[in-house]
Amino acid sequence: MTAPLLEIEDLYAGVDGKEIIKGFNLTINAGEIHAIMGPNGAGKSTLSNVLCGKPGYYVTSGNVRFKGRDLLKLSPEERACEGLFLSMQYPVEIPGVPITSFLKHAVNAIRSYKGEPELDTMEFIKMVKAEGKKLGLDNEMIKRAVNVGFSGGEKKRLETLQMSVLKPSLAILDEADSGLDIDALRVVAEGVNALHNENNALLVITHYQRLLNHIVPDFVHVYADGKIVKTGDKTLALELEEKGYAGFVKEK
Amino acid sequence: MDGLIQDIKLIGEEIPWLKEIRAKGRNAFIKQGIPTPKTEAWKYTKPNRFFETPFSYTPSNLISISSNIKLPFDCYQINFTNGVFNPFTSSLPQGIEVMPIIEAIMFTPKVREKISNIAKVDENPFVALNTGYLNEGVYIHISSNVDIKKPLTIVYETLCTDRNDMYNLRNLIHVEKNSSVQIVEAFYYEGKVKSSYFMNVVNEIYLEENSHLRHYKLQDEAFKSAHIAFNAVKVEDNASYKSFCLQKGADMARNESYVELSEKGAHATVDSAYIMNGWATIDTTTNINHLKPYTTSSQLVKGVVGGQAKGVFQGKIHISPNAVKTEGYQLHKAMLLTDDAEVDVKPELEIFADDVKCSHGSACGELDKEQLFYMQSRGISEDEAKQMLIEAYLNDVIAKVDDEKIIEWIKLSLNSNKSE
Repeated sequence: MTAPLLEIEDLYAGVDGKEIIKGFNLTINAGEIHAIMGPNGAGKSTLSNVLCGKPGYYVTSGNVRFKGRDLLKLSPEERACEGLFLSMQYPVEIPGVPITSFLKHAVNAIRSYKGEPELDTMEFIKMVKAEGKKLGLDNEMIKRAVNVGFSGGEKKRLETLQMSVLKPSLAILDEADSGLDIDALRVVAEGVNALHNENNALLVITHYQRLLNHIVPDFVHVYADGKIVKTGDKTLALELEEKGYAGFVKEK
Repeated sequence: MDGLIQDIKLIGEEIPWLKEIRAKGRNAFIKQGIPTPKTEAWKYTKPNRFFETPFSYTPSNLISISSNIKLPFDCYQINFTNGVFNPFTSSLPQGIEVMPIIEAIMFTPKVREKISNIAKVDENPFVALNTGYLNEGVYIHISSNVDIKKPLTIVYETLCTDRNDMYNLRNLIHVEKNSSVQIVEAFYYEGKVKSSYFMNVVNEIYLEENSHLRHYKLQDEAFKSAHIAFNAVKVEDNASYKSFCLQKGADMARNESYVELSEKGAHATVDSAYIMNGWATIDTTTNINHLKPYTTSSQLVKGVVGGQAKGVFQGKIHISPNAVKTEGYQLHKAMLLTDDAEVDVKPELEIFADDVKCSHGSACGELDKEQLFYMQSRGISEDEAKQMLIEAYLNDVIAKVDDEKIIEWIKLSLNSNKSE
């Protein structure tokens, strides 16, 4: 039995002087898909930002281990190099930085961290174009600057493209379905599913059950007021869809 | 001013008119003196602090010449080493002529008339000083009706010495009608920086009817040096002057462009970028004069300032009373990387004509933290991400350069960090 991929123990964390995560516990093993569902304002995005080390977010107590290492001691780029990936809810636009050059820098940074040689540029661009095509991002879009002029749905496709190029061990999808129509949702979900295998894991953060029809979780956690209040299998998501969060939030 | 004016024997000292040109320069310099913080045109840059160190003119026999700088693009290359012109090696095509300035003015009266014609000694003390030492530099002449494809590059290399040297270089560029040419200037240094030096360059540029000059410059001087350049340009009927200057070196630097759009349809593009750290002051000053109708100008200046450095932009657009149907645009943007970084901006519009289109703008910002985090969250280190964002920020002004190879060279120069 190998060590878990991610272990979060009794985590307390917040932002702007406000404690938002209060006693959070979660263990994710390789090969698993976890879903965290919760109402608006429960602190779902705070959790993903804390895990990725976004400046401004602080941890007051608790432990987070990623592949056995103390995650909280690592810089955001070290976390990424170790294999953590966040598909962001609101990906930022970066004018003047082309997608291909951005991805090439990212891939080579991760390869160099692992002591691997840099990739050949031509091969790399070919690979990015092929992956992009699968996600409905044509060559013209790949040539553009990162997220500049992209619709909400296109941004989510580009997040998924980055994930498929960077091949993380743990991908956190923060509201990966927001801004997506039914067809785009299917494309993104297929992209994510194609990457999932027994060596990596997914943490899907969402309001709605609909994404979980496409990315089927092994575990569903209800997250309210800074911690997990109930854990079940995929049927819990259906129950939530039917009854709403009100019942669970009261349980605390 | 100690030491700046020395009684040194220069070539042609026995020729009365040449002696007079120099004397006028020296006298005008003594009269104006080194600018102080009270001198309006220099109030932000304050060059006086730099001249507390005495500088001296170094006779060329003290200078050992050896240069092996080769720029990464195909060009005709001229070299100056420590202010001294190296004998020209590569052959030039038909229609382009390069010779030492002193030879050109001594033997060609038509060239002589052009000296100090637009770069006036009584309006700028450093132009005056430069004229006082009129001796080194080149005369570049382009005949009419030629299109020179390969750029002509002037490399100014300073091999650091233990003296505080002063170099006064004077170039005169004359493009006759219907011709076009690209001129690149690159200022570099070599060796360990032991002392300070002062590079003082004046370019007088005459563009005849329907001629086109693209003028690109890299200023990458040693971190203890001063660099002051004055580019005086006269643009005639339907001629165009398009320039871009990247300044990243020196302790105190100014690149000044004085442009006269002197006939109908004349155009000037005067773009710049500056990137700096430490305690440097880098100044970009422009003075664009629309003297006739249907003249157009455009300026885009972008800077990135870190450390405790200071960026200065002074941009003036002047439109004369009869210069109707003219257009003049100016935009300055700066990114401050630290709390101690500073930018001083003085835009000026002087419009004496109706029916003109003019605008100016200035904006200041900092690195976008969301963008930085996004890049880091993909594995890119903070330093590399910053460098990518800085390059992206300067990308639009650099991309205005017409030549892909030169763009590549400028981007490469942006990231070379010898002057740290």
